[in-house]
Formats: sequence, structure tokens, C-alpha cells
Amino acid sequence: MKYLVCVNKTPDTTAKISFKNDGKEFDDSGVQYIMNPYDEWYALVRALELKEANGGEVVLINVGGPENDTVIRKGLAIGGDKAVRINGSGDSFYVASQIANYAKDNNFDIIFAGKESIDYNGSEVPAMVAELLDLPFISYGIKLEMEGETATVTRDVEGGVEIAEVNTPFVISAAKGMAEQRIPNMRGIMMAKKKPLDVVEPTSVEARVEISSFELPPPKAEVKLVDPENMDELVRLLHEEAKVI
Amino acid sequence: MNSPQNYTNMSKAFSDLQLLEFLIFDTHRSEELFKEEYYEHLDKEQALAMIASAHALAERDMFPYYQEMDGNPAKYDGNGKVMTHPQLKVIVQNAAEQGWIGASASFEHGGMQIPESVNNAAQHIFQAANNGVQGYLGLSAGAARLITNFGTMEQVERYVKPIFEGQWQGTMALTEPQAGSSLADIKTSATPTDQDYYKIKGQKIFISAGQHEACDNFVHLTLARIEGAPAGVRGISLFIIPKYRVKDDGDLEYNDVFCAGEYEKMGQKGYATTHLVFGDDDNCRGYLVGEANKGLTYMFQLMNEARIGVGQTAASVALAAYKAALQYVQERSQGRHPSEKDPEKDPVLLIEHADVQRMLLTQKAIAEGALSLACECNKRYDLEHVLSGKEKDDNHLLLELLTPVVKAYASEEASRSASLAIQVLGGYGYTLDFPVQQHYRDIKIMAIYEGTTGIQSMDLLGRKVVINNGRALQLLTKEISKSIAQANEYDGLKPYAGQLEEALNGFIAISQHLFKYAQNNELERYLSDANVYMEMAGHMIVGWQWLKIGTTASQLIKDNKHNYTKGFLEGKIHTMKFYYKYELPKTKVCIEVLKEDSWLTDLRDYNWF
Ligand SMILES: Cc1cc2nc3c(=O)[nH]c(=O)nc-3n(C[C@H](O)[C@H](O)[C@H](O)COP(=O)(O)OP(=O)(O)OC[C@H]3O[C@@H](n4cnc5c(N)ncnc54)[C@H](O)[C@@H]3O)c2cc1C
Repeated sequence: MKYLVCVNKTPDTTAKISFKNDGKEFDDSGVQYIMNPYDEWYALVRALELKEANGGEVVLINVGGPENDTVIRKGLAIGGDKAVRINGSGDSFYVASQIANYAKDNNFDIIFAGKESIDYNGSEVPAMVAELLDLPFISYGIKLEMEGETATVTRDVEGGVEIAEVNTPFVISAAKGMAEQRIPNMRGIMMAKKKPLDVVEPTSVEARVEISSFELPPPKAEVKLVDPENMDELVRLLHEEAKVI
Repeated sequence: MNSPQNYTNMSKAFSDLQLLEFLIFDTHRSEELFKEEYYEHLDKEQALAMIASAHALAERDMFPYYQEMDGNPAKYDGNGKVMTHPQLKVIVQNAAEQGWIGASASFEHGGMQIPESVNNAAQHIFQAANNGVQGYLGLSAGAARLITNFGTMEQVERYVKPIFEGQWQGTMALTEPQAGSSLADIKTSATPTDQDYYKIKGQKIFISAGQHEACDNFVHLTLARIEGAPAGVRGISLFIIPKYRVKDDGDLEYNDVFCAGEYEKMGQKGYATTHLVFGDDDNCRGYLVGEANKGLTYMFQLMNEARIGVGQTAASVALAAYKAALQYVQERSQGRHPSEKDPEKDPVLLIEHADVQRMLLTQKAIAEGALSLACECNKRYDLEHVLSGKEKDDNHLLLELLTPVVKAYASEEASRSASLAIQVLGGYGYTLDFPVQQHYRDIKIMAIYEGTTGIQSMDLLGRKVVINNGRALQLLTKEISKSIAQANEYDGLKPYAGQLEEALNGFIAISQHLFKYAQNNELERYLSDANVYMEMAGHMIVGWQWLKIGTTASQLIKDNKHNYTKGFLEGKIHTMKFYYKYELPKTKVCIEVLKEDSWLTDLRDYNWF
């Protein structure tokens, strides 16, 4: 089988977030980037497990500039066979269109993505890719088992799980539980340099969303500790200060 | 008692990837190594990816078990086994799978031919996360290196592969009950046979990782004396003594190596320290490595690396303690500023107090300064693979001089640094709820094993600064002068360059002053204050490192082509200033002490104590 895994680049979880250009743009000076953990830990690793069990090929795809190559090569170090970077950037629709366009000509059996990227948390791209390719889409998969061409997917739903069956080809977004983190080893990192990373020019697609501004959440309020013996004080604080009761 | 719940009692940060990148690639320019044939299979991006992998491994497998292993120490079962924490096996396996045991060995020997500059960045992360477990990995790597450097290809094939795979543990077995600092006095005996092995008899004490639950076999690189060999250091040979020897059919059989006990210690409790008995049943075979009677020379090559490693470990643990303290002071409020007279005002965070800042900056100055010196040594170690001729000899000499300094400075000062980390936390620092007391307990051993500070100091003054007519000292002077010239290109750094020049001149002058004792054959007198000399040398040499760091940060700020935060680089320059105000002047006190001619440490009448 052929697997396509969408890998995105996101700021490290410890990065200090700030904005520039009147709040319209993310300020990335001093920010370290990582591969989006949902793509890396769950989508990519599950694709690799399936390939290891049944053979096939795992291709990584990223839409972005050359600054993304480091993150893409990490995916190759973990075990991806080859990678494609579509050399452009834009909104979710733009990204999804580029991926769909590439996938259309390459006959993938399963297209994987993380359930969301941890920067904008949009959960949009894989759904759009499925729509653009007219393929079934399963979101928030926490387990994926293959039997021939049929996949059984366990999905996280509010308060429980849902079990769905789907035939290849399809698009899936992976959530925690789908696989276990793999840390690239030295040999993998050395081999990654020799694996193909093709750069493809984007097709022309108009972005449909424009960011008017970002705002940081209000700073976290201070924590007050209340002695467990002193319930009256807790009630008073909830009533007078927090004004929630 | 639990600590107040609003403090994170386990610091999440234990190391700093930006700091590593800055030290290795900007300050010590290790990227230039990748242009050399021996390392050309690597580039900076890959090196950083490997370091990031090491960090992920430490974060997942090592750091969460640091305090747990302290609370569940390695324990002797009374019958030859040492019970260790089950996570140890997971760590050894995963670290081996990642490539970290054989990282710096050559391709020819089954390694990954990674420069020590990069390998030790990973080891630093492991040391900061859980220094005892890094000990197991480091010893295996060291033992394997002795075999690859001096053993036969057959020995390499037999022992090194399972060590690199984490199946077997390598150890260094030197110390005996009567021979610790003085290895010349070892007694373990090796009797030749008409086969390819010697029969070994003897005891070794304090052998780290000599027995535990994470590996199936133990390969002890052991110093012993072949029957009839000359007395002293010229009669010591190096042997491979496996716990289970490999039979011709490949099966293993017991080699009469018995673990007779495990020492309970104040720190590094998860790191087994064993008592080994060889040949109690007259059935212990040892396999000679290299030539007979050259054992100590071989071992010294490894010990020099191990000494840099111990110094680096001390710096790494001090850095972890600093990170924990830094987190705490941004969470706990206490007291008000001296000028604040209103008792109704909220208390301020600890980090706002000047004295707390002094303690934090002292820790940063020591830990990062010592780490930089370790990086300097690692880079010079790598250069040995790529330089040739006179350049290579000079580089080697300078490395020889720096080795005891990084070991002694880092281990002694890291103790002070970790003590300050406890102090910063106040009463909570003294409780087991926070890791800083463990860092402090763990660090102490680093001033003892691989040669005590006393031994390092005598090595520096008695050997390193005088060999080849003081050539190493000249080379050091040349390197420091180069750094001073580079710093002088930045107006803001000139005062510090001047201070370092003064300290360097003082160092040279006092060395000349002391040499006269040596010239008069007053050797006891000459070496009597070697520790004070070391303290001076250490503070001056780490001052050199801070000037390099300050210059690098200034250059990056000027060129404005980097991806560090402004605070990161400005913090470097500020800490350099702090070091020059609070630490470097200590060299002057040492020089005063060394200048003063009275000799107070040659008491013959012990009643005076
Ligand atoms: C936890 C731990 C792990 C260890 N791991 C290993 C290991 O894996 N392999 C191994 O072989 N050994 C190991 N050791 C042993 C360690 O290397 C020795 O303990 C160390 O070298 C000091 O020797 P000693 O304990 O006999 O002290 P001594 O040599 O008795 O020294 C005691 C004091 O006297 C001073 N002193 C000694 N000789 C002189 C002198 N000539 N001039 C001036 N001062 C002197 C020393 O500086 C020290 O302050 C370990 C020890 C410990 C505690």
C-alpha cells in the first residue's frame, strides 16, 4: 500500500508566543520549530507500522518553504521513505489544495494527518483534502486496523468511542492513542540525508481567508490556596471575588 | 509532608538545547569539523537532530526516574547480584538502539563516527536528566574504546558489539582496597598460562556498574600485575575480564568473577558501586590487551577522557539544579523590597530579590562556564582526529593541560553551585520533595572518582604546566591572548579583556615563582599548595571561556543573523560581566596565598591538629 502523511511544522510547545505587524503576523524570532506532534507521533508512526507489517511506501508531504526541510527530514529519519515539499504557503484551503493536487496523481491508499496542528488548531486540512479528492474522511482516529483493503477505525467521540469501517482509499486524522512516539535514532538521521526530498512548485490557488489580527489570551489569574478545613472562606471567595456563585 | 501545591516540585527543564547549540556551534565552532574527511558524513542539521533526539529520550526515559532511582537505590542481594531499578534496562536498551553507546567509535569498529562535540552534547543532556544512568552508558563506551584502541580485532569483534548493543556492560576496574589514588600499588595478579589467557586473582573495590540487572554480561577492563613484572607503574598490564567468558562454540560460561557487595552511598544511589572478587575458585581468565606492562599508559588515555566526562557531568548536574532553582523563584513569593514599607502590599516573587539574583547568576556563571570548558576540551579531542604533525601535538598538549582543570574546577564549583540551588529554595530545598538536594549529593563524588581534586591539582602543577619545557603553558597563553584580541574588537568587552589579561599575567608570574621550588628539588614544597594553584588556574581559564562566550554573543548581536532570543544573548553578556566581578577576582586571592612564602602544611607534630 501507499501511504501519504501530511506533516506540518509548528512552534515548540515551550516557545513564547508574540505577534508583529499590528497583530496580523506571528513573530517567530527566537522560536524553535518542531514537527506537529499529532502528525509525528500518531499519523506518521501508524503509517510506518502498517508499512512494516504489510509492505508499501510512506511518503511525507509538507506545504511550505525551504525552512521546513529540517522538520521534514525528521520524518524521514523516523522512517518515511521519501518526501515532497510543495514550495508555497497560504491558508488551510491553499494547503489542502496543494496536497490534494499532488495526491490525485499518485494513487495513495491512505492519507494520514494529525487531528490538528498545535499552533492554529484548525483541524481543517485533512477534511478539505478528502473533500477535494472526493474521498471518505475519518477524523480523530485513535486506533486503525487494516484487514485487506478494509480499515476499522476507532474514533474518539464525546463520552465514548465510535467504531467505523471504511475501504481504501480514504483520509484519516490521527489522535493520541493511534501509535506511540518514536524517537529518531542516529542511523535514521544519517540515512535521512540520502532519502529523496522533492520540491514541487505549487499550483495557483487563491487563499480564501485573510487574518485580520491575533490576540493573546488574558494572563492567567493568580491562584489562591484555601485550607481544606476552611470551606467558609472558599464559599466567600467564590461568591465575592470570583462571583461564580 | 508535601510541599505547597502551587509549586511544581519537579522542575521540567533540566537542560537547554539553545545553550548547547550556542556553545558547540557558535562559541567553539564545531561545525568546521564536518569539513574534515573523518566527519564529512555529518552536517550541523543532523547533529542538532541527534541532540534533539537525545533530549526526547532523556525527557521520556531518564528524567522522570531521577528521583525515583534515588529513593530505590541499587541493592546487593547477598548472593552476587545487585538489584537495580527496572527502568535502567529500558534506558540502556533505548540509548543503545539510538546509537549513544557506540556514537563516537569509528565505522570500522561498528560505531557511528560522531564527533565527541556532538556525542557529549547528548551525554550532557543525559547527565543533567539522570547522571547515574549516564554513568552506565559512559562506562560502556569507555571500556569499548580501550578495546578498539589497544585490543586485537578479534577482541573488538567479541566484546565491542554486545557492548554497543547494550547487552553487555563495560567497566573500568582499577581501584583496590590499598590502591586508590596510588595505582602503582595495585596487587591483582595475572599468571601466564600456555593458552591465550592469564589466570587472574585479586579484588577490586568501588567498581561502578560492576554488576546490575540491566545487562547479561560484564566486561571488566582491569589493571593487574603479571607475575614477575617490575614494581610500580611500569609493571601494570591491562586485561579484559568478562564475568561470563565466551567458549569456542560461542556459548558463555562463568568466569569466576563474583560480586561480593555493593556500597551504599550519599548520592548516585541508582548507580551500582560494586566490590568484585576475581579468581576465588582459581578459574578466572583474563585476556591481555595490547602489550604487557603498558596497562597504565592505556588506561590513562581513557582516564583523560573520563576526567573531561566527569567535569562535564558536574557542570551538567549543576545546570539541572540551576534550572530547578530558576523555576522555583518564579513561582514562590516571599517578602517585599527593602524600600517597600506597606505591609499590605503583596509579597514579591523570590526572583526579584537582589541576593536571590546573585545566587542564580553565580550558578549560571559556574555551570555554563564549566560546560563551555568541557565543550572546548571535546572540540580539541575531535581535532586529534583531523590534525596532523606539529598542530596535532600542540593541540594534544593543550588538551592535556585543560583536562585536570575541567575535572577539578567543574566538580568543586558545581558543588558550590548546587549548594546555592538549595539555598535559593530555602527550607524546601533541603526537603526530598525537590531534586536540588539530590543534585548536591550526586555532585560530591565527581571531585573524588577519576582522581581526586588533590590528584588533579598535582597533575596540573607537577606535570602539565612543566612538560616539554612549559610548552602547554605557552600554548594556553597563546590561545587566551587570541581570545583577548578578539574581545578587544568590541568596545563593550575591552574592560573584561583587560581583566583577563591581568589574571593571565598573574598566573604566569606565580607559576614562575613556584617553579623555583621545583628547580631547587623541593618537590614536596612545590606541590604543597597545588590545590590553590588549581583554584587560580580554574577561575582564570573559566574566565577565558566567559570572554569567548561574551565575544560570541556580541558578534551574533552585531551581525543580527541568528535565531536566539535577545534575552538569551544579552543574558550571556550579563553573566560574563557577573563572572568578572564576582568570580575572576578570586584568582588574586590565590596568587596572594601562593606568593606568601611560609609553609604551614608540613606539620610533623600531629598533636597540633
Ligand atoms: C561511587 C564511586 C565510584 C567509583 N567508581 C570506580 C570505578 O568504576 N572504577 C575504579 O577503579 N574506581 C572507582 N572508584 C574509586 C575512586 O576512583 C577512588 O575512590 C579515588 O580514586 C580515591 O581513592 P581512595 O578512595 O582510595 O582515596 P585515597 O587515595 O585514600 O585518598 C584520600 C585523600 O587523600 C588524598 N591523597 C591521596 N594520595 C595523595 C597524595 N599522594 N598526595 C596528596 N594527597 C593525596 C586524596 O586527594 C584524598 O583527598 C569509585 C569510587 C566511588 C566512591
